[in-house]
Amino acid sequence: MNRRFGDQLIAVLPRLRRFARGLTGSAVDADDLIQAACERALARQHQFQEGTRFDSWMFRIVQTIWIDQIRARDVRKEDGEIAERLGSDEPVRRVEARLALDEVRRAVDRLPPDQRAALLLVSIEGLSYKEAAEVIRVPVGTIMSRLARGRIALQQQLQAGGGMRRST
Amino acid sequence: MQRRSDDHLVAYLDGEVKAEEQREIEAWLATDPAARERLAALSESANLLRLAYDEVFHEPVPDRLIAAARGETALAEPSAQVLPFKVGQVASRETATRPWWMGMPVAASVFGLLLGGIVAYFGVAKLEPGGTAGKQPGVEMAAADDVWLENAAGYFKLFVSAGDGALIDASASGDPREALQKISQSLPQEVRLPDLKPWGLNFRGARLIVADGRPAAQLVYTTDNKAIGPLTLIIGSSKEPDISPTLARRQDVNLLYWRHQGRAYALAGQSDIGYLWGIANDVAWQLDAI
Repeated sequence: MNRRFGDQLIAVLPRLRRFARGLTGSAVDADDLIQAACERALARQHQFQEGTRFDSWMFRIVQTIWIDQIRARDVRKEDGEIAERLGSDEPVRRVEARLALDEVRRAVDRLPPDQRAALLLVSIEGLSYKEAAEVIRVPVGTIMSRLARGRIALQQQLQAGGGMRRST
Repeated sequence: MQRRSDDHLVAYLDGEVKAEEQREIEAWLATDPAARERLAALSESANLLRLAYDEVFHEPVPDRLIAAARGETALAEPSAQVLPFKVGQVASRETATRPWWMGMPVAASVFGLLLGGIVAYFGVAKLEPGGTAGKQPGVEMAAADDVWLENAAGYFKLFVSAGDGALIDASASGDPREALQKISQSLPQEVRLPDLKPWGLNFRGARLIVADGRPAAQLVYTTDNKAIGPLTLIIGSSKEPDISPTLARRQDVNLLYWRHQGRAYALAGQSDIGYLWGIANDVAWQLDAI
């Protein structure tokens, strides 16, 4: 194995874990996802083009594996169930202030996968719309649309759950 | 229309609109209190989002992932521990339980690391007064790295040996930015201060040093967390090509060094490698040095 490649990979692990945690909503699943991404990256390191962004390349691998996983698990059904729950009259649980960030993570978990990925890449990992579009392999306009829908949904969920100050 | 307006607000918040569109949005915001309110709410939710995942970024990376990144999947076992250095002798448990400023004599090896590096630098310079022609680039890069790393490790040990608060040219007791401005006056580029408080590291001050024959800033951080211990970050200039963070070891000092756009960085300490990687990544991210 190219040692420099391994060093680069180790250097981006904290960011990859953060991205994966947001995608999966689970610490264990996130680390399993990153382990699979590392293995795939090492197997395909010859495909990485020097001079391009290594972090974006890795984000793309993580995103691709995650999409494969949720397709395999038929997450479409789960999303439908979640949407149903959100649409019901189930009272939104008020959390204490110290748990507000847990509520943010739960709100992210409730977003559709495509919006979640766009949100994590741009709002947390700091990628531009163009870079995020390259990672997810969709047009920039699609990223813009997913991001806007995701951000607005997140804000509405947080306001409904008391995670944010209500606008007056 | 409502959705389209909010789409524009989100893009505006992310700095993804062109100048003309930015002016239009700002004119709209100036006259529409409801739009301003939505913008503020979107901004607040974005801040919460970043905070919600910040702690993941600062967790030590599990050793199974470091092993996986190195292609050592056979060693992978679920664990929250970080992978310690295996090269050479890592500081013993007894040493680790002592306060870091005690029991660390000013060894001749410290000065060997510093003076040896400087002598090596001038030795190379004398052999090649006309520049670098005739040498293989790889050999030159290794020599430059070696001097840089020897110096970085030496200055770290010098700080540790000299004790708490010593050898600081510009103390952090006042305004840290002011301290850095003083140091930056002697450097080709301004030095910015990474905030490492999320790691429990407090900035103690900075000093001007000479690494690889060139002035550099040494930023000193201390912590009560013995798993991390004191750390120093050296920021200097370099004409060598960019390199990604690379691990090295000099005596009992662990180093992560990298170069980015004319600057050379070296994070030196005696902490576990997992912490060093995480902190170096944080530094690089904060300083746009990645």
